[in-house]
Amino acid sequence: MITTTNPPLLIHPLAFPSSNSGMSLDDAQIVNDSPQVGFVDLGSKRVSHGSRQGDVDSERFSISMSHREIDDGDARLVYVNDALKTNERFEFAGNSIRTAKYSVLTFLPRNLFEQFHRVAYIYFLIIAILNQLPQLAVFGRGASILPLSFVLLVTAVKDAYEDWRRHRSDRIENNRMSSVLVNDRFQQKKCKDIQVGEIIKFSADDIIPCDTVLLSTSDPTGVAYIQTINLDGESNLKTRYAKQETLSKVAEKDRIDGLIKCEKPNRNIYGFMATMEIDGKHLSLGPSNIVLRGCVLKNTNWAVGVAVYCGRETKAMLNSSGAPSKRSRLETRMNREIILLSVFLVGLCMAVSVCAGVWLKQHEDDLEILQFYRKKDYSEPVVENYNYSGVGMEIVFTFLMSVIVFQIMIPISLYISMELVRVGQAYFMIRDDKMYDETSKSRFQCRALNINEDLGQIKYVFSDKTGTLTENKMEFKYASIFGVDYSGEKTNFEGEQRGYYIQVNGQVWRPKMAVEVDKELLQLSKTGNNTKAGKQIYDFFLALAACNTIVPIVVDTSSPAEKLVDYQGESPDEQALVYAAAAYGFMLMERTSGHIVIDIQGERQRFNVLGMHEFDSDRKRMSVILGFADGSVKVIVKGADNSMFNIIDKSVNLDIIKATEDHLLSYSSIGLRTLVVGMRELGVPEFEQWQSSYETASTAVMGRVGLLRKVAINLETNLEIVGASAIEDRLQKGVPEAIESLRKANIKVWVLTGDKQETAISIAYSSKLLTSNMSQVVINSNSKISSKKSLEDALVSSGNFLVSDDQDAGGSDCNTSPPVALIIDGSSLVYILDTELEEQLFQLASNCAVVLCCRVAPLQKAGIVALIKKRTDAMTLAIGDGANDVSMIQMADVGIGISGQEGRQAVMASDFAMGQFRFLVPLLLVHGHWNYQRMGYMILYNFYRNAVFVLVLFWYVLFTGFTLTTAITEWSSVLYSILYTSVPTIVIAVLDKDLSRRSLMTYPQLYGAGHRQESYNSTLFWLTIADTLWQSIVVFYVPLFAYWKSDIDGPSLGDLWTLAVVFLVNIHLAMDVIRWTWLSHASIWGSIIATCICVIIIDVIPVLPGYWAIFELSSKGSFWICLLGIQIAALVPRFVIKMVIQHCKPSDIQIAREADKFGNSLELTGQEIEMNTSRR
Amino acid sequence: MMNSNPSTPMNAHAPSSSSGGAGSPDSNAPRRNSKRPKYSRFTQQELPACKPILTPKWVISAFMLVTIVFIPIGLTSLLASRDVVEIIDRYDNACVQGSKSQKVQHIQSQTTNKTCVRSLTVTKRMKQPIYVYYQLDNFYQNHRRYVKSRSDNQLRNLGDENDTSSCKPENDANGMSIVPCGLVAWSLFNDTYSFSTSNNSQLAINKRHISWKSDRDEKFGSDVFPKNFQNSSFIGGGRLNESLPLNEQEDLIVWMRTAALPTFRKLYGKIEVDIEAGETINVVLENRYNTYSFSGKKKLVLSTTSWLGGKNNFIGIAYLAVGGLCFLLATTFTIIYLVKPRHLGDPNYLSWNRNPGGH
Repeated sequence: MITTTNPPLLIHPLAFPSSNSGMSLDDAQIVNDSPQVGFVDLGSKRVSHGSRQGDVDSERFSISMSHREIDDGDARLVYVNDALKTNERFEFAGNSIRTAKYSVLTFLPRNLFEQFHRVAYIYFLIIAILNQLPQLAVFGRGASILPLSFVLLVTAVKDAYEDWRRHRSDRIENNRMSSVLVNDRFQQKKCKDIQVGEIIKFSADDIIPCDTVLLSTSDPTGVAYIQTINLDGESNLKTRYAKQETLSKVAEKDRIDGLIKCEKPNRNIYGFMATMEIDGKHLSLGPSNIVLRGCVLKNTNWAVGVAVYCGRETKAMLNSSGAPSKRSRLETRMNREIILLSVFLVGLCMAVSVCAGVWLKQHEDDLEILQFYRKKDYSEPVVENYNYSGVGMEIVFTFLMSVIVFQIMIPISLYISMELVRVGQAYFMIRDDKMYDETSKSRFQCRALNINEDLGQIKYVFSDKTGTLTENKMEFKYASIFGVDYSGEKTNFEGEQRGYYIQVNGQVWRPKMAVEVDKELLQLSKTGNNTKAGKQIYDFFLALAACNTIVPIVVDTSSPAEKLVDYQGESPDEQALVYAAAAYGFMLMERTSGHIVIDIQGERQRFNVLGMHEFDSDRKRMSVILGFADGSVKVIVKGADNSMFNIIDKSVNLDIIKATEDHLLSYSSIGLRTLVVGMRELGVPEFEQWQSSYETASTAVMGRVGLLRKVAINLETNLEIVGASAIEDRLQKGVPEAIESLRKANIKVWVLTGDKQETAISIAYSSKLLTSNMSQVVINSNSKISSKKSLEDALVSSGNFLVSDDQDAGGSDCNTSPPVALIIDGSSLVYILDTELEEQLFQLASNCAVVLCCRVAPLQKAGIVALIKKRTDAMTLAIGDGANDVSMIQMADVGIGISGQEGRQAVMASDFAMGQFRFLVPLLLVHGHWNYQRMGYMILYNFYRNAVFVLVLFWYVLFTGFTLTTAITEWSSVLYSILYTSVPTIVIAVLDKDLSRRSLMTYPQLYGAGHRQESYNSTLFWLTIADTLWQSIVVFYVPLFAYWKSDIDGPSLGDLWTLAVVFLVNIHLAMDVIRWTWLSHASIWGSIIATCICVIIIDVIPVLPGYWAIFELSSKGSFWICLLGIQIAALVPRFVIKMVIQHCKPSDIQIAREADKFGNSLELTGQEIEMNTSRR
Repeated sequence: MMNSNPSTPMNAHAPSSSSGGAGSPDSNAPRRNSKRPKYSRFTQQELPACKPILTPKWVISAFMLVTIVFIPIGLTSLLASRDVVEIIDRYDNACVQGSKSQKVQHIQSQTTNKTCVRSLTVTKRMKQPIYVYYQLDNFYQNHRRYVKSRSDNQLRNLGDENDTSSCKPENDANGMSIVPCGLVAWSLFNDTYSFSTSNNSQLAINKRHISWKSDRDEKFGSDVFPKNFQNSSFIGGGRLNESLPLNEQEDLIVWMRTAALPTFRKLYGKIEVDIEAGETINVVLENRYNTYSFSGKKKLVLSTTSWLGGKNNFIGIAYLAVGGLCFLLATTFTIIYLVKPRHLGDPNYLSWNRNPGGH
């Protein structure tokens, strides 16, 4: 049961216990063995703990048989305590897990196979293979294989290391000991040897080794508490139950013999369906009977269970999948440019091969006697053609050879560099001090590694409200009891007098959390049951304390005389209500399967819980059937106001209902979450009728949920109103400031919430999303026609607001009319999304500064994100914390999970996860901006870096009879992109900052650089290409003319070109570095030095033709003069253009950088800036 | 029946994880990975750094600096190039007349007399050493199959005599390995020149140490002798003295340093006396090398040298051009900055302050 706190369809204000069918806390045992009430036990899907089972069992059998059983073909049969028989027919997976991918033997083939899934490597491989053909051997064997083997080796080492770590953790997991029943005795056995069907015993704090159906526990009622933090990150305790029928069996003595028929392994950690046949009885098993691998047994001395899913078939293992993969916008753009580069490459190769063909044609007659081209081989007695197969073939060969020579035109190394850079960026985001959440002690998490740079271009933020904007830590604020509003002065108990406490065996028990109480109400609550008001207050708080799924846990404190009662539960609202009840003297002390104990003003009372209808999102309420000590039975219902007022008996107390409604309105208008409580006494016939149908429904194997809901709806009628509660969900720290920053950064913030409209609007006000100068457009409609009409009206009216805006082209951020806020609810969206009205909604929404969607279902959230994504190019970001945000997070370009109070589903689906909403500001404005700017620059630089080298090679080819000779040695051409120039670009792309964090945070408008795509666009691309062309011409032709008609030899000139081009690209990079740290210095100058060393090493090998060339060359003045001249001449145009732009059309970033450096402020004058911001 | 039973499981000790921070609403929800990132200037990207900004002053200074450095270098280069005296004589067409095929026939014949006499006039005083080069035009010594057709191992080690696989098609002749093998060696240039002044006194040509010392010491073996060279039916160029080791065959060593460009010079020797202006030099040359079949040109070059090498105005002009351009740019930028100054960090230029409808 590991429940999500907010299951998919939960509507927020009633964060009741989870509603996933049949898998929430099952404390609602329906049993009772208390003779006072004397009702028969009701079988339930969860176990009956009571006595007198016999007569019910036969009935239950027939009921469960009447529903469809799990198909034998689809079922897994587990013979309890008979692993041999269980595993006889089907080999079920053993319990040893293997997350490691490779073994020593399979590492090489498998790793290579996986690596070659990447297109980049295939390209490398094809080039290397082409080069091995004798006709095409451009490079030597070593030099041609080096780049490929280098990347393969680096990746293989990385993979091997990761796999070794997985092996190690696998070994630890597999070798953990657990206690398994062998020959009627529990023996220690390694975890990996556990088989399906075996009986296992766990002790407190054990980690469960496999998915296990509980048979018995140390608790006489069969309860076991587990913590599921490893599975879904929720830290509160969940309850699991052993079946009544197996409870009493002692595994060692009674040979347990049974058959469990369960579903095939699946990854739904919230669902489990099975039947158990034991002692001829037929029981149904649900998610509350199974404990999953990875959970920890808590607060329970021991538990015994039978393994049903082992090893890789456990739900935990089936769920361990990687993060979703998305591709960044920048990379998509980049791929387009890479296609262009491929076209260039083909163009170059075509040019070379055509020229080569022409050359051969012209010299066709001479080819035999040319000194430098011999067509015939005379060394053998028979004279034959030597390496010549006609002009046509020569052209083809030349083409392929030129592809090999110019291969780095396609910057394959860029993909690897980008991966490394993203890892570096992720490292800095994770390590960022400003994004560490103190309260939950959680760091920023990067789950997707390939969309870092998208964070710099976000245009729309879609935010959940509860838990995202707010803390999702509920605090009880006000109560309205029988029409009386208690929202007076609050008392906060400090020091000595810390709230309500009770004495138990000489110890003081206090609720863990103190709640501010209303003095008057506190006074009244102490008067007891006698006065009318006292009776009403008694009913109200009793309802709060009883109608929930909270489990009280007693915690030690430092003082032995004092203990704290910690209320554990899945819904923060319920926790708040129970704490509130405790503060007013209604302290829930104990919850067992069949009863609860509440200390009411110092008097302990026991109530039998006869049944419970859990919360579901259709009914939007829950109810509990309580047996009182005097034999009376009451049904207590609590739920959302609109669902409750429908079932409240309106014939009586109309004024109370009216007053309560008024109070509710005033509560929700100040942003409080409200719940309404109702109650009714059940007569004996009615109770019996309910009881029998309840039992029928809850033992059904199929359709149980629907049947139970029907029973609940029949019961929850004609209620008497008791009161209403108001809970505050506080805004997270820094939310208004964060929203203000985002808005200044011209990011549109849309809030999509399941909350009520009033609550949503008030939260929007307090978070500064809505401001008083905004004109609101509200759309609440219940049909398609009315939706259409209100949309049209809204479009017209918003158009009126925006009339002046149309005249200036500056966009919506500078309009002089009041901004428009659109408020729309889920029921209207039903008629708008996925219909032709979508377009109108989009137009309307894009006119609005703020959009607030209330009462929306999870899928509608995704639909709204899709609405924007489909129609604009703008980047979308969705942020949320609950399971209901998952679809929206996955739909958006960037999904962010808040690792907050609710479960981890949002985090699991997200690309990034963080602790607080306000971290969005540093994430987008600072890291996003940096990432985008760095990545954009790096891509352009890599294009340039590789193209300039290829062009230098290309120019030379024109002077060699188009034969693809390279003056630059093959080793240098291979090392160029691996060693000579690769490190600085990675270091700079990880470390360079165009602006300080302070400037970026102070002036969120600077984020606009990403919106305007200032770091990477096609203008920049073409400018870069033009610059590349010029630079390559300078690098190549300066030495060419300087050494024309001289006795320079090829390798010498090659060395000059190598050094010139490497110096040039590194100095080019240096020119663009904004922030020089010692690392930037080390990488750039280090690369230049490394290149010199490499060139020298290559030139001291006597068997290479270029032996000693660099020394002979550098001993002459002309070498140095060429080198210097090339650098300056190549960089002057770039420098000039940069300076002109910087002076005449400075970018925001440039201005901010100057202001940063010279310490002046960017604000025009105080007044003007104020006007500016207030207009937004 | 209001019995409370403190020993029910729920009252047992709660998980230790939830026991901290009693009473504080923040104390629940313990998380994994709860380590606070360790603060360091590196992880916070706050390493000390220099953030240079190119202010107008810097820009103008940079251009001026380039001007100041480049103009003098350009001028000295030009002067140095001007001081170099260079005599170039193209003799391939002068020595053989006729059509292309006649020329080819003439040059390929073993019997024809290929001696040819040229006289060169010295226009300007040439100071020793005077370098004698031959220049070949349109001879692709950088042709891929030519450059590759050599065996550096064989040239260096006696033991690698048969390492000729890379030398094709000039690897064996008559079933034996050729030393030195390959097209490069095979096509060795073999015109010879001798010089005398107008008064018929011989001008001695020093052909020692025309190659790189490193080549003689390391690259060419002192124990490797030419073998089976130019023995096949098809002769590409000069022959070698089989009694001299390769490291003393300096013409070969020079030739084997394949030229980078299709028009190139190779050092033939040095004349170590000054030649006065107005003198005439008579050159007696053996015109043996075939450039006629590919319409190449053969030139004889006598040149003095400067610190910059031979006669070449390109560097000087290029430096002057860049220096001049930078001076122009410096002035232009000065004017721009004066005419249209921009206060650095001026918020008026920010995009959000440049509202069309606004201020």
